[in-house]
Amino acid sequence: MESNSNKKYTKVSKSDITKLGLRSSLFQLGFNYERMQAPGWTWAQIPVWKKIFGDDKEAMSEAMVDNMNFINTSPPLVPILLGLLTSMEEKRVDRKTISGLKNALFAPLAGIGDAIYWFTIMPIVGGICASFASKGNPLGPIIFFLVYLGIFLCRIPFAHLGYDMGTKAIDVIQKNSTIISKSASIMGLTVIGALISSYVTLSLKVKIGSVSLQKDFLDKVFPNLLPLGFTFFLYWLLKKKEVSPIVLIVVVFTLCIACSFFGIM
Amino acid sequence: MQITFLQGILLSIFGAIAGLDSYTEALYIFRPIISCAVTGLILGDPVTGLLAGGIAELTFAGLTNAGGTQPPNPAVCGIMTVVIAHTTKVAPATAVGLSLPFAMLMQYIILMYYSLFSGFMPSMDKAAQNADTGKFNRFIYFSMFVMAATFFVIIFLSAYAAQGPMAALVKAMPKWLIHGFELAGGALPAVGFAMLLKVLLRINYVPYLLLGFVIASFINYSNVLPAAVIGVVFAMIDFFDNKQHQKLQAQIDEVKENGGSEDGI
Repeated sequence: MESNSNKKYTKVSKSDITKLGLRSSLFQLGFNYERMQAPGWTWAQIPVWKKIFGDDKEAMSEAMVDNMNFINTSPPLVPILLGLLTSMEEKRVDRKTISGLKNALFAPLAGIGDAIYWFTIMPIVGGICASFASKGNPLGPIIFFLVYLGIFLCRIPFAHLGYDMGTKAIDVIQKNSTIISKSASIMGLTVIGALISSYVTLSLKVKIGSVSLQKDFLDKVFPNLLPLGFTFFLYWLLKKKEVSPIVLIVVVFTLCIACSFFGIM
Repeated sequence: MQITFLQGILLSIFGAIAGLDSYTEALYIFRPIISCAVTGLILGDPVTGLLAGGIAELTFAGLTNAGGTQPPNPAVCGIMTVVIAHTTKVAPATAVGLSLPFAMLMQYIILMYYSLFSGFMPSMDKAAQNADTGKFNRFIYFSMFVMAATFFVIIFLSAYAAQGPMAALVKAMPKWLIHGFELAGGALPAVGFAMLLKVLLRINYVPYLLLGFVIASFINYSNVLPAAVIGVVFAMIDFFDNKQHQKLQAQIDEVKENGGSEDGI
């Protein structure tokens, strides 16, 4: 029994794991407030469960009921978790361990995923490609598409990675999640600082006598001080005043239109 | 410039695909840099598509789906920005501002579906209990169809059916209002960056933010790549420091443990 439990690919095949990785790209379908990704998460695993459980309806029902519990994790990284849990289902590890593992991992994985994909890769790739595009260079959207195509294709090796790592994965993910998110934050914030200076454009038209407030004063003191100050003003509203982003957008529009009306900007 | 019926249909089909992608987060063709470029190609105005994509992408830099939230819909924003810039001949920066109401409309529709799909959960629980895999397939494909159809209709109505009134509206706007929208196009990225900062910024990361800002303000380079590379440098330094620290901590713990047991003897 012992040696048998370590064997891989007893019920599912290599191509089943590949398909699992591809199927994971649709796992946000059916997203809802109550269970978030649970229906799509369950749906994505049905083919591998069919292989594992065969005609055992009871085991199938148990797995489905258990997986219909709340889950909210990172879409680009979810194949790792799916692969990992498949390897455990295949070994028929008991239900409580599997669901405990799922519940322990989905949140840290969501944290790492958001830090890497939304807060590091997106500002860097988006920022660089946008700077190409705003000069009319078609490389902007093309590079962007290729990068994200690559991220999409990573779902396949990620699913295999999760499956191959088995229980070892838990240790790796939990031990390194804080270090990885910290490094990603450093990278992301450096780029965000650069983006603020490059892409928030605010420039005053006001003149005091013959001295232009923008050209002769602010630009001499420190270029782009106004965009930085404005971003921090919005940050302060968001963080300390807990203003909603939609209200912020309205505030920006009102301010800009008012400034335009009075000839300030 | 008028949008023909055929262009309207093509835009709606692309809207359905990109919209679905914004729900599943599979290929990221819903991001404005891609959706603007494709819309520009469909309308035979690829340069406007590229320029608008560069601006709209940055406007949405911080408006992310991180943590399962819904921003104003980037796919609709991208498509409508180019449609507005193409049909009314306003500057892309102005068009981004004018497209936001459409993007927000779609955001609210999606949030409504999130609530609506929650209503299906009790019957999905029952299906899970009965190991009814067919029902899961039907629900997932149903949600896929509903989403795609909604995007199709919304894009068709806003891009094709409403173009007359929209052009009239833009023509009727006074100059200061149009300029106000243009200013808002330049200031809106600050909302996105403020939102990123709300999630990412801790006091010990402020130096990196300032570093990125200073690099981009003083190095005259066409994109944020230099800042990104320096960000990578600091991320790596921090990563190896932390790894080293982790190792040392482990060694200290080991020594402590051994010391403790020796004392016991």
